[in-house]
Amino acid sequence: MVHNQHGRITRRALLKAGAALPLVGVAAPNVLSQPLSKSPTTVLDFKTNADVAKAEQEGELVFYCHENEAGTAGIMQGFSKDFPKIKTSYVRAQTGALYSKILAERQAGRFDVDVIQLSDIAPAFDFQKKGGYERYESPESGAYKQDYLSSPNGYFFWTGVDPAGIAYNSEKVAAADAPKGWQDILNPKWKGRISCKISASGLQFVQWYMLRKLYGEGFWKDFAKLQPHAFDSRVQLFDRLAKGDDAITAIGEYPAYILFKGRNAKVEFVAPPDGLVATPLVVGAVNKAPHAEAAKLFVDWAMSKRGQAWYQTNPNLYYASVRTDAPPMPTGVSLTRFKLLYPSDWDEYARESAAFLKEWNGMLGL
Amino acid sequence: MSATAASAERWSAQRLVGYGVAAIAAVLVLYPVFYLLQAAFDVGDPQTRPPTAYGLDNFQVLLNYPRIMLNTLVVSFAATAMALVIGFVMAWILARTNVPGRRAFEQLMAVPYYLTPLLGALAWSMLGSPESGFVNQVWRALGGSDHLIDINTPYGIAWVMALFEGSVAFVMIAAVMKSMDPSLEEASQVIGASRLRTMLRVTLPLVVPGVLGAAIFVFAEMLGSFAVALVLGTPNRYYVITTAIYQLIQQYPPRIQLAAAMGTSLFAVMFLMLFVYRRIVTRGSYVTITGKAFRPRVADVGRLRYVLFGVCMLYLMVAVVLPIATLLYASVQKIAVAFPAADNFTLDNFRAAASMNAVGSALTNSLLLAFATATIGIVLMGLLAWLIYRSRLPGAGLIEYVVMFPQAVPRLVFAFGMMWAWLVFPIPIYGTIWLLLIAYLTVFLPLGVRTIAGVMLQIDKSLEECAQMCGAAWTFRLRTITVPLLAPGLIAAWLLLFIASMRELGASILLMGPHSKVITPSIVESWFGTASELTATLALIQTGVVAAAMIVLVAVTRRLGAQLVE
Repeated sequence: MVHNQHGRITRRALLKAGAALPLVGVAAPNVLSQPLSKSPTTVLDFKTNADVAKAEQEGELVFYCHENEAGTAGIMQGFSKDFPKIKTSYVRAQTGALYSKILAERQAGRFDVDVIQLSDIAPAFDFQKKGGYERYESPESGAYKQDYLSSPNGYFFWTGVDPAGIAYNSEKVAAADAPKGWQDILNPKWKGRISCKISASGLQFVQWYMLRKLYGEGFWKDFAKLQPHAFDSRVQLFDRLAKGDDAITAIGEYPAYILFKGRNAKVEFVAPPDGLVATPLVVGAVNKAPHAEAAKLFVDWAMSKRGQAWYQTNPNLYYASVRTDAPPMPTGVSLTRFKLLYPSDWDEYARESAAFLKEWNGMLGL
Repeated sequence: MSATAASAERWSAQRLVGYGVAAIAAVLVLYPVFYLLQAAFDVGDPQTRPPTAYGLDNFQVLLNYPRIMLNTLVVSFAATAMALVIGFVMAWILARTNVPGRRAFEQLMAVPYYLTPLLGALAWSMLGSPESGFVNQVWRALGGSDHLIDINTPYGIAWVMALFEGSVAFVMIAAVMKSMDPSLEEASQVIGASRLRTMLRVTLPLVVPGVLGAAIFVFAEMLGSFAVALVLGTPNRYYVITTAIYQLIQQYPPRIQLAAAMGTSLFAVMFLMLFVYRRIVTRGSYVTITGKAFRPRVADVGRLRYVLFGVCMLYLMVAVVLPIATLLYASVQKIAVAFPAADNFTLDNFRAAASMNAVGSALTNSLLLAFATATIGIVLMGLLAWLIYRSRLPGAGLIEYVVMFPQAVPRLVFAFGMMWAWLVFPIPIYGTIWLLLIAYLTVFLPLGVRTIAGVMLQIDKSLEECAQMCGAAWTFRLRTITVPLLAPGLIAAWLLLFIASMRELGASILLMGPHSKVITPSIVESWFGTASELTATLALIQTGVVAAAMIVLVAVTRRLGAQLVE
């Protein structure tokens, strides 16, 4: 009675049972913060605690997203297709600017947003600390390991990961000469021919953090000597790679590799044996949302197998799903085949932000 | 009219309107500037507003960025110089000579301006990148080594900025030249001066206010130029203030305070230039429109007209034909390369663009906003120009400094001031299309006022004074004398405002709400997130829509202008 379909203990199940008081003592702070709601209902092929009729009556969903225009529109398109009575609209900007915008709005007493998706976990922690998220424990969360959920569960979840290795232009670099592991990117022959991302990138921060842990602080100092070209997005990196403007990229994101491979670009992907650096894309419902039921419904949809399939196969997204039952990526490769490198202690990672910005901006002459 | 009645009129109509528009301008500009300055001096928690501590730390940090400051000045001066030379020469050719196809060229001259700098940069990046540039690919295919041109150098950046951001110089200078009495040039030639000497000794000095106004405006545009430096500068690790600011506000946590300090420090540069401009124009007389009747005529330059025709064609080739052809070619390829291959051709980019609903609504919003901004702006900015240069009301000179504020700071940064200001404004316009209208009216105040003022300075005050002595009321004088004489300048300003609004990027990025999207940021987003080929397609669609709108508008405004002059 106290377990849902995924075998997880839930507040509703506990209350329904009217027992297990010792357990309530542990879960109380999290559990009691949520209002009572009915048992999950099945919509399409996923479970939700949202009142779907009410969500449709609200008729709208406002989404703030870090993803590029086409990607953000793609996410909304997927949700609209399944819930055509809910009109979707969105604002997109890079995570830093987007987060500043939502904070400024909330400080001015404006609450226009229902759901927010960020590409860096550090602002998500901050937003959680500031009470910005609405706590909503989705019935779909059982399909996720605890690592991929906020602590406590219900504030945000990993809607996917963006894994990155090394990528190169196969017309400019022979396979034998291509880097095999992370330390190979430090070869002086790549000077002026290598690219990376700017400091606004959450993934770049993760890469800096993880490779510094693996190879020491000198790693990035040696990298700086190569005078890398830095860009905003994975598409820009691969656009230049495909055209031969850069020979290799130190941060070849797998979603972009799939996209450009589909265009017959002469690019190849290298998965270093030490692992692919990966950053989560985190989604959460915002509190005081004008369309609260629509927000819950969206979170459930995004967490569901259905929503994850959409995220994973849309060419402007190609996020790798971290659901335990996720199908392989469009290339037929399963995410589980790769070793992923991401911080085990996100608090420590967040504290390193200033050091990263200083080193990275300094390296780029900023 | 008795002295009492005249005095009463001055108090009632002129002062009311004068101080009314001054108050509107002050609110539009100073309200966000207050928040911007507040941020520049904020040394507390960057995520908390209002600030918890104030200090000069952000300005001290600026000293750590000498390279960026130097880069900005190098590119801005080089681009301004190129834009002014191109603008003056083209304006002289098209406004003062009988070059073949003059009218057609004149219309085509506006095209680089509404191609948007991003698209110009994108096209020239495809043409002139050292490795993948089409020109360099062809060069290597012909046996050349390395590369023929490199558009990623500071002078390459300045060149593209001059072509696509500096074309406003042509419009501003041409508006002045058109209003100039040709008898002055004719007199010069009658007494034996050559055409070149006449151009340099008569035409040039007479258009000094226009050229100086354009110089200040263009220099400010270059200081605030973002898209070109982003596309062409960053691949070469060449950062200017705007691209540095962009990086600072995108990162987490964003360094908005430092960006605000960087932006507001440009106020000093701008006001110094404005001070110099005012000293020059208030010392000399640049009146060319007097009570004496004249019809604007062009000079017969003989065979030189064919050389000048070649100059016009060359300009249009590098600023219009080549970029558009490049984008068109890129739009039908999967990956844009110089040499065609059957398996690389696709129409998917057009299919993808057509399916982007956001782009459709964004285009409609942009057209509506551009129309509203130009129409409301022309009244507001025309009255402001009159207030500053004609009204003699106390404190009128100060208003010019106020209206120049938005030009002095990159719009990317100014947008933060506007966001904070209008977020807490009691009337809930934040997140709506009305906020964008207010933002556009604010950021384009300098453009409108400068354009109209350039022409207004040429109109002899005695015409209005004469009518006043004859008893004409201020509104009657405005309607029957000032506005008809200003008609060419007003029409030029209307079209400029329309185009500037259509291509606005910096302010819109931050102020767009979920229901108020506009086109240029959507295209920039496409460049960041999809592919340069799809971006080229979107750019072409935007250009096509704007071109269609311009054809209609030019026809209408020309008819309207003719009626006003009559």
